[in-house]
Amino acid sequence: MKKHVVLNVNGEEHDIEIEPNRLLLHALRDDIGLTGTKEGCSIGVCGACSVTVDGRLVSSCLTLAIACQGKEITTIEGLAKDGRLHPLQQAFLEYGGFQCGICTPGQIMAAKALLDGNPNPSEEEVKEWMSGNLCRCTGYYKILESVMAVVQNKVRTEDLLPRERIEARIQSLDVYKAEARTHGSKSHG
Amino acid sequence: MAEAEKFSVVGHRVTRVEGYEKVTGEARYVGDLQLPGMLIGRILRSPYPHARILNIDTSKAEKLRGVKAVVTAEDTVKRPWGAFFADQYPLSVGKVRYVGEEVAAVAALDPDVAEEALNLIEVEYEELPAVFDAEEAMQEGAPLVHEGKARNIAMTIDVERGSVERAFAESDVIVEDTFESIPQWHCAIETIGSVADYAPNGKYTIHMNTQTLFSARMRVAAALGVRETDVRIIQAAVGGGFGGKSCDDNNPIVAAILARKARKPVKVINSREEEFLAGSRPRVNMKTWIRMGFKKDGQIRAKHLRIIADNGAYSGKAPAITGVAALRHDTCYKYSDVKTQAYLVYTNKIPTGAFRGFGNPSAEWAVEQAIDEAAHELGIDPLEIARVNAVEPGYVSPHGNRVTSCELKQCIDMAEKMMDWKQKRAAKKPKTGLGLACTVHVSGKRHFGDYDGSSATIKINEDGKALILSGEGEVGQGAATALCQIAAEELGIPMEDVEFSQADTDLTTFCLGAFGSRLTYVAGNAVKDAAAKAKQQILEMASEMLEASPDDLMVEGGKVYVKGAEAKAVTVADVARARLFRRSGAPIVASGSFDADSVLPDETRYGNESGAYNFACQAAEVEVDTETGQVKVLKYVAASDCGTVINPIGAEGQVEGSVAQGLGYALIEGLRMEEGRPINPNFSDYRLPSMRDMPALAHAFAKSYEPTGPFGAKGLGELGMDPTAAVISNAIFDAVGVRVRTLPITPEKVLKALTEKGKS
Ligand code: FES
Ligand code: FES
Repeated sequence: MKKHVVLNVNGEEHDIEIEPNRLLLHALRDDIGLTGTKEGCSIGVCGACSVTVDGRLVSSCLTLAIACQGKEITTIEGLAKDGRLHPLQQAFLEYGGFQCGICTPGQIMAAKALLDGNPNPSEEEVKEWMSGNLCRCTGYYKILESVMAVVQNKVRTEDLLPRERIEARIQSLDVYKAEARTHGSKSHG
Repeated sequence: MAEAEKFSVVGHRVTRVEGYEKVTGEARYVGDLQLPGMLIGRILRSPYPHARILNIDTSKAEKLRGVKAVVTAEDTVKRPWGAFFADQYPLSVGKVRYVGEEVAAVAALDPDVAEEALNLIEVEYEELPAVFDAEEAMQEGAPLVHEGKARNIAMTIDVERGSVERAFAESDVIVEDTFESIPQWHCAIETIGSVADYAPNGKYTIHMNTQTLFSARMRVAAALGVRETDVRIIQAAVGGGFGGKSCDDNNPIVAAILARKARKPVKVINSREEEFLAGSRPRVNMKTWIRMGFKKDGQIRAKHLRIIADNGAYSGKAPAITGVAALRHDTCYKYSDVKTQAYLVYTNKIPTGAFRGFGNPSAEWAVEQAIDEAAHELGIDPLEIARVNAVEPGYVSPHGNRVTSCELKQCIDMAEKMMDWKQKRAAKKPKTGLGLACTVHVSGKRHFGDYDGSSATIKINEDGKALILSGEGEVGQGAATALCQIAAEELGIPMEDVEFSQADTDLTTFCLGAFGSRLTYVAGNAVKDAAAKAKQQILEMASEMLEASPDDLMVEGGKVYVKGAEAKAVTVADVARARLFRRSGAPIVASGSFDADSVLPDETRYGNESGAYNFACQAAEVEVDTETGQVKVLKYVAASDCGTVINPIGAEGQVEGSVAQGLGYALIEGLRMEEGRPINPNFSDYRLPSMRDMPALAHAFAKSYEPTGPFGAKGLGELGMDPTAAVISNAIFDAVGVRVRTLPITPEKVLKALTEKGKS
């Protein structure tokens, strides 16, 4: 029997109807449409499905969606703020912390959970923590380098995603502002 | 770095063209795709390694609510397909030959219903005697996997150049040994999957994560019994390939058959277990007997190989892989007299196939250890024996491979330096040892028809941006970025102004795809050619606009200048618009192509197989715990000659990822089977290296320039994992004087070898 469940993902509430045994992974991907969280092993070993629930790193392939009601779920899609990359995303981009990218959402979420709790981990601590996230492409060297770059404050600027850059340009056009005024909608600053 | 000074884009540390999508989780992989009305497909697989199918009853499954199609071989044209030998069917016809083989499939509204329907399909089997070991399979009287294949032999190679008999007689030292590798799985974190759609006009569109779109189209069309253009393959983002996604499995074909029957789009994604059972085709396992003769100074005089390669139940690319294992190494060192006998043998196990290295890692596991044994016997530093034998530019192998650029000696020097080889050898610590091995790899390989080429189209849009239309695709290795760099460099426009199209067989010209370390070299040359032709069109138009001869013009930073009068300039966008928006206007668009200067081998397997060869030397320092048998890699160094490095971030990543896979192959990986049934088909029992397993790694790229490559570049993708297992084993021998001859080198095997050594 399906149940009505409300999930708070990346600060937004989602009403979904799911079976009580629905995994968080599938609720996110198939019911809510957030496909950034990936399925690699389905048994809690590879870390591709990593998300945070109330700041704690979990494997969404082992977590029941229903158990996450009333909690704050964060996925890779929730990291960029106002279209600006999170420092970890920026670091992975600049230091080549990914190749095929399938493990990347999980890697970045795992690193985020670590740094949120401990902004200054040693390289050994990072290695230990990140060993729950498998990657078959990189050999991990550039993932480690990416995470350490954030720890060592080497990431200077975070890119505004190109689409947000374009958005900002459109919104600065006079005609757009005029339109917004006529419709009396909220400001598009 | 020197390259970065010479070039404005090539040689620079460039971030990925698809980087934003990947770090935000918005890249679309095949599992993320949804089409209207899409169904979920699941496959019923054989529980037996060898059995006759007496009857299949699908009636109960068909009646289940939510099931939209159930298919068996009766829904197919029963036409066998395969890369080299057509020996497998999309759905079993009459017989199953390995555990996991596709017998039937269903498409349903959701995965649970599909799974339930699988349980309702009734298959009656009659079990047949099966054979699991390649050597046993070759014995007279062994059960036959395929009728008509005597002693289960799919292919034989028997080649001798010079006279090994004479050469052994002239040798000062002879070593002889036997080594066995292990089937290694790609374990891409994304499994194989497809979304197939069947349109009213009879056209199949398959979104898939293949590395080789046009070969996929060819094989899928053959298996479906339709023309090539009745199938359109569109590449989704690919979550890792390593050879495993080169379309030798049935996943996309089954998806298409289901879509045809249901008249609805169907998604079929392998579970992790299915990926192990019947998805990516694991590395061809080989048992290699080797005998080598050397002169006193370490010079190789003779080599005799006998390889028994496990084909599994169907052939895929194993025939070509066995060929590489048999002959390729003779392009790494200077050989004159060699003999190779190789047998590719059917067994009742998952078909084997292409995995990064393509036969090289399994062969080098034997050859590079035999050479190490000789070095110890001769009392020569293993590094010196490599140096004495290393090939040089101009070398022609006994099998006709012609080496153009080659910096293997430089690689050996660099490895020596990075490892502090001499110092560490002089101050050898107990239980600590050094090992090394060298390798050669191709940059593309001629074995599909008589073609080892690529083509690409570049169009310059009205805003001055260039789009590369290429069917080579991007599988995560960074080909798209490197090809954009090559185009930007040739066109004289900024990197941000070059885009790489999604690979799509309907929109691009024929391309062979990602295998054989070919994209930077082969596709790079085709892209460069297209860019040069597009640039010519830019210059011709600009010469009208600037009233100057095309020869006096240059393009830089997206602008066309008159040389010496830089104030006189127009943008590439101005040029594109001016050429298009006028009477009889035309877009700037050009197609380029390239075919390597290689030849198809003749019937004696003689012939230059590739346009360029890449080389590497790797070394390791290990420490062996003689109480536990645990091997700890203290330091690893990799020196590679890939010609000009197009993108250092990408090149380093290729080497690092290869070394990780090589270390996994050496020390921990491998699927264990009992009676043809996998016993560890999951990521908790099939262990992969994790971050904490990785040793300190130093790498370097040789100063090298390949005259036939784009801006001097050649291949790199597989080079890094070819020698790794042998490197580790050689280092263990140096440390504690024992050699484990079967992969992986587990602590138990090391301990056993130490105990045996203690006894003798
Ligand atoms: S899919 Fe959840 S840990 Fe691998
Ligand atoms: S980048 Fe491909 S698995 Fe990590």
